[in-house]
Order: sequence, then C-alpha cells, then structure tokens
Amino acid sequence: MAFTSDLDQITRAAAGDPAAVRALVSRYSPGVLSLATRMLADRAEAEDVTQETFLRAWKALPGWEPRAKFSTWLHRVALNLCYDRLRKRKEVLPGQLPDMADTRLAPHDALDQAQRVSAIEGAIAALPERQSAALTLCALQGHSQAEAAEILEISVEAVESLLARARRTLRAQFLEGRTSS
Amino acid sequence: MTEDRLIELIEVWGADLSGFPEAERNAAKALLAARPERFAAAIAGARALDAALARIPETLPSPALTEALVASAPKRKAAAGGLRLPKFAPWAPASGFAALAAGLFMGVMVAPGASASSDLEEVESVIEHALGYDPAAFTEELGE
Repeated sequence: MAFTSDLDQITRAAAGDPAAVRALVSRYSPGVLSLATRMLADRAEAEDVTQETFLRAWKALPGWEPRAKFSTWLHRVALNLCYDRLRKRKEVLPGQLPDMADTRLAPHDALDQAQRVSAIEGAIAALPERQSAALTLCALQGHSQAEAAEILEISVEAVESLLARARRTLRAQFLEGRTSS
Repeated sequence: MTEDRLIELIEVWGADLSGFPEAERNAAKALLAARPERFAAAIAGARALDAALARIPETLPSPALTEALVASAPKRKAAAGGLRLPKFAPWAPASGFAALAAGLFMGVMVAPGASASSDLEEVESVIEHALGYDPAAFTEELGE
C-alpha cells in the first residue's frame, strides 16, 4: 500500500491499520536500532530500546501533530532512552561495564575486515555520547545537519563541533595510528 | 568560503562534497577546484575515514524484532456508528419457541377442569381489575 505522506501513514497506524503499522516499522526501525546499537554497543539492549521507542510511538500516535518530522521525534526518543541506559551503566560498578573494543590492539593492516569493522564500531561506541550520536546520525544514517540538530536538541553549529571532534578522534586512532605502527 | 572553512567542512562532513551543507557546497567546490593541492591531505584523510565508516554494515532488525514491534502496535478499532445488536447463538430463537410450547403444554396439563364459560368469566375479571374497572359500580350506574 502506498501512503501519501508521513501523516497519512501515522493516522492509519494510529487507527490500527496493519499495513500502515508494518510500513512504519519497516521504514523506521532500522534507523532506531542502528542508533541504539552504535550508542550502546550491545545488540540486546539496542533491541530493548527499539521496542520501548515504538511503544512510546504507538501511545503518541493518536494525538500526533506534525510539528516535527516523525522520524526526528522517534530518533530523539530512542536517543534519550540510550542516554538513560548509559547513565545507569555509569551508576554500576566500573568493573561491570561491558568491554569495548580496544582499537589500539594491533597494527591496522593486520586486522581483517571483520576485525576492522568491529574495531571502528567499538571506537564509535567509546566516543563521548553526543559525539557518537552525532556521527551515527550524520555519517552513518545520512541525516542532515539540521535534522541531527533537532534530534540532539542542540544548534547546527554544535552538531558540527561534535562531528569534527568525533571524526578527529577516529582519524587519530585508525589512520594516524596506522602510519606510526 | 575561506581555506580554513573548507578544511573544517572536510573534517566534519568527509571527502564527499555532496554531503556538505547545501548553502556552502558550491563555494567549497569552487575553492577545491581552484587549489586542489592545498586540500589534498585533508581530503585523503577524510576519504580513508569515510571508507572505514562505509564498511560498517547496516543494522537490520531481525524478523522476530520486527514482528514484536508490529504486535505491540494499536489494534484496529471496530467501526464506529450504527446500532450494535447483541450476538445471539443461531439456536436461540428455536430454544425460545421450544420453551413457549413447553409452557403452554404444562399449563394445559396442570390446569383444573373447568367449563368454558367459567374460564371466560375469570379472564374478564382479570382484565377488568387490570384496567381498574369496577363492574358493580357500572351496574349501579346503569340502574340509575
């Protein structure tokens, strides 16, 4: 079924139209799951966040007003749920924190493809929260600077600053490390 | 567009100019075309990072997660408007008739024997009382 707009799809989903519900899920769940996975570096937790995000969406749909893009709103909800979980992690003993990939373990050229991917995923997850979120939204998911600013609830300039710092850190770990190893 | 600003843009958005903010894209393209050697190192570094990021596979939800998300959605409500009649079982009318027939049969069987005229008088009396009609007063009125 083709939907004329986000709002049309949302209205139908709110009324329980199974096709509209499925369309919303297939359209937005990969982005939400991807953001949560990058932020939390834990697939199971990311799936929990995705489910919680959609539960909140279903509750919000009947009164939905198109002041913001649904996608923006959904990602913001997911991001805030991730922040909550990261905050709770910090409250537990440091020894209980999940292991992050050590991006400096081996010479870059010795890593095979899977290890490289795993290493860069770990490095993104190890970035400060907001840098990780900005990089995921813009560099991995293709959100515009304005969309990312709205999701992160910061200015466009602040998004740019987060992106610059995130990329600089990754470049230092992966690319400049390679030349020195 | 200054050189410093172009370096910043490359650091933030990578080597692909199509990802630059639209308002600055054309100016950035022009400056890069005019002095490519000035930005070659920045572009090379950004391109290598872009390639590393591009290797990260897309995170797709499992079928189980997709179904769980769909199942958690609101269900379609019944169509609003119109009189909603209670649902009857298909055998309900037949059982009503059977009960009526059984009642009539039992009534006939247990009723004391009586003449047709006394039955008629009794029925009249019941109806008159039900209507609040006093036959004695009516007879007196007729007599006057």
